[in-house]
Amino acid sequence: MPTLELNLPPPFEEAMKSLQSEIMRFILRSTRDREDSLDLFQETWLRAYRAYPTLRSPGGLRPWVFSIAANLCRNRVRDRMRRARVIVSDGRDAELEAERFLPHAQSSPDGVIGIRRALAALPGKQGKALMMRKFGGMEYAEIATALKCSPQSARASVYQALKKLKASQ
Amino acid sequence: MKTINQTKHVEASKEFDDRAVEALVRAAQPGIRRAMKILRRPAARIGIVASPVGQLLVAEGPRGFATIHFLASSDADRPLAKLRRKFDLLENEIWRGDLNRELARYFAGDFTVLGHKVDLVMVESEFQRRALMRLREVPIGSVITYQGLATAVGEPDAQRAIGNTMASNPIPIFIPCHRVIRSDGTIGNYGGGVKNKITLLRNEGFALGSSLRMPSSAVMGHRYTHIYCRPECSAAKRADPRRSLIFADARHARDAGLRACKLCKPD
Repeated sequence: MPTLELNLPPPFEEAMKSLQSEIMRFILRSTRDREDSLDLFQETWLRAYRAYPTLRSPGGLRPWVFSIAANLCRNRVRDRMRRARVIVSDGRDAELEAERFLPHAQSSPDGVIGIRRALAALPGKQGKALMMRKFGGMEYAEIATALKCSPQSARASVYQALKKLKASQ
Repeated sequence: MKTINQTKHVEASKEFDDRAVEALVRAAQPGIRRAMKILRRPAARIGIVASPVGQLLVAEGPRGFATIHFLASSDADRPLAKLRRKFDLLENEIWRGDLNRELARYFAGDFTVLGHKVDLVMVESEFQRRALMRLREVPIGSVITYQGLATAVGEPDAQRAIGNTMASNPIPIFIPCHRVIRSDGTIGNYGGGVKNKITLLRNEGFALGSSLRMPSSAVMGHRYTHIYCRPECSAAKRADPRRSLIFADARHARDAGLRACKLCKPD
């Protein structure tokens, strides 16, 4: 009688080994802060480990972990903005936030400053899709899984984001 | 004007070069290791073994067998999904070889292997845990009724719940749900298939008749008086059937520590 194959997914640590640099780079780009990146990377790792048994196909690990990281980064930005609003109540909230998240902007070349500001000004989904595509090197299908939308929508988000960036320069 | 790609390269080379990212990943490791000491699920060995009752999916955690699943009755997806929530699963060839030998010994009549530790982590309720542990006390070569087992766990009206418990028994063979039959003496159902239930009972010396009823040599054993009788004995008829075990023959009853009835002299 032929023995059945179990097709178990690889152990979590092994599966994450090839992804961890990419994840850290993605988080670093999103937060632009070393301490925040360390925190969010650990949180991403632990959340992914806890939820690993619910991952159905091992092939879906990459977009799945990226979506965890993206959600955590988004939450962190939201938290920061909420706290900043409590402290600064005049109409310069957004401007101050942009300054805070782009600490090196003053010393960077003009083009880079422009891109950073434009990236920060993009709507959430478009910004994430562009980051995943251009900085994370992810496929549209993977971005779609991470953002919980269709691949066509992911492609459209990247296109719109690029269009806005080009228009802003 | 800089293009997106140019900007990407500028940023990658200046701020996020590979060495800096690797250093950050390394810096994160001690914190992850500390947290993983608390979060880590226990490891369990898993494998598929062939046996006279078909292919079995077996998983063993640090406290004993956690799952034995008949692959002929349904595929491995559901038990695997449940196991992955509780354990970090690892395939292990050496352990699988040992397990094969252990099952071969059981099917060759060496029932000491049934003393292997079991881990009831996959069992959902306290009632089910109690019923399954009580069932382990039913001796080899005997059977108990669903109602009898319900009485034994202190819930005399819970025979249906016992039926559900047997159907969801995570460790068949080692928790002998094949030793539970209906009160009318018919064999009842089995999660691994009725054919396998008959195979397991016959292997333990409980040879069912052609109509799948109790064998003619069967004797009734009373769990509290420790006496066994012929089924037609007046003392057996007076005894509460819910507190009785049915032994394949007098020898199995004697092996379980019971003595013969002085009225019907079943020997």
